Amino acid sequence: MRQGKQGWRITFAVGALLASAAAMAAPPDFTGVWTNAGRPGIGGATGPGAAPLPFKPEAEKRVKAYQALVAKSGDSPGGLCLGTGMPGSMLGSGGYPMEIIQRPEQITIIYEAHSETRRVYFGPRNADQKDRIPGRNGYSSGRWEGNTLVVETDNLVDAVDQRSTPHSDQAKIVERYTLEGKDDQGRQILKAEMTMTDPVFYTAPVKMEKRWAQVPNGRLLPYECNEEMWTARLEELADKAGVPLP
Amino acid sequence: MKTLRILPILAALVAAPLAFAHHSAVQYDFTKLVEIKGTVKAFTAANPHMRMTLDVKNASGSGSHEVKLEGHSTNNMYRNGYRKGMVNVGDAISVNVAPLRNGDEGGYVLGATAANGDYFGVRSTRSLDAAKAKEQAESK
Repeated sequence: MRQGKQGWRITFAVGALLASAAAMAAPPDFTGVWTNAGRPGIGGATGPGAAPLPFKPEAEKRVKAYQALVAKSGDSPGGLCLGTGMPGSMLGSGGYPMEIIQRPEQITIIYEAHSETRRVYFGPRNADQKDRIPGRNGYSSGRWEGNTLVVETDNLVDAVDQRSTPHSDQAKIVERYTLEGKDDQGRQILKAEMTMTDPVFYTAPVKMEKRWAQVPNGRLLPYECNEEMWTARLEELADKAGVPLP
Repeated sequence: MKTLRILPILAALVAAPLAFAHHSAVQYDFTKLVEIKGTVKAFTAANPHMRMTLDVKNASGSGSHEVKLEGHSTNNMYRNGYRKGMVNVGDAISVNVAPLRNGDEGGYVLGATAANGDYFGVRSTRSLDAAKAKEQAESK
């Protein structure tokens, strides 16, 4: 049967509407608590893998000097209650879970260890480059490419002390997050692919991958870590003042 | 003699900041698991590592001595069964530790049986699990 001119118009209009609806479809919701997709419980930190990092000679020298300095004592930022920073916070987080809170204009990621927090800003919610403050987790800007969340992170600080992912303050990280389906335990898996470029530390981009498993109705625990240091400081003050600890 | 009197003070001054500032697991041998029984003298569930002091009976049978331990974080212990009030000063408990590499008494607490018999923490180490799995695979 021959379709009339009117019929074609309707078909076209419906098609256009469907296409635009698909384009405007809400992105997947990553809100929730996620744990390392490996063995449940303690541990599970992951690094960039077995491949050696493509260090520039000067950077390798600094990293080796740092590692030699802490080799015997095993000291680390975390041991003194300092967060790892990106990309270590995302890759391992000491084996602890993370929570994602997703809003259209901002995604907030809280890593349980040291309560490290990242804020990923979208569109006009972003700060101007000149107003961004450098930090261990840098400044993150996000966008959706279909069902993939793309996060670009800059304004990082020098982090020679990151165990498996050291970098300079010139490092930039691009993360791509996608829902990967369920694992054999029926857990929803969130896959993160990361690429770190750093003209000061590396001769080539460093690629990393990490999988998180959703914890239905999960809760993060508080992670106060400086209590011991604070108590010791109070004891010291009380000692000096010759008064008992209040 | 004067030097001898000053030395302990100096040692205390040097040791004080280290006592709280240092959290590291490199000094423990995680391929081994040792049980220590004692009475709790002090206990702090904390991050990044818990602290515990046990009063342990001397091998000779008379008297006791203190053993200082650190262990998994509050958060790791919580996820493995620890709840507030499970460990109290004066409790007779038994702990599973990864011992100190240098042979001194002490270790890193992986798990413990509380005074009421409840267990929290892990019962083994990953290194031990891996070694057992390898042994089993080889014996097949």
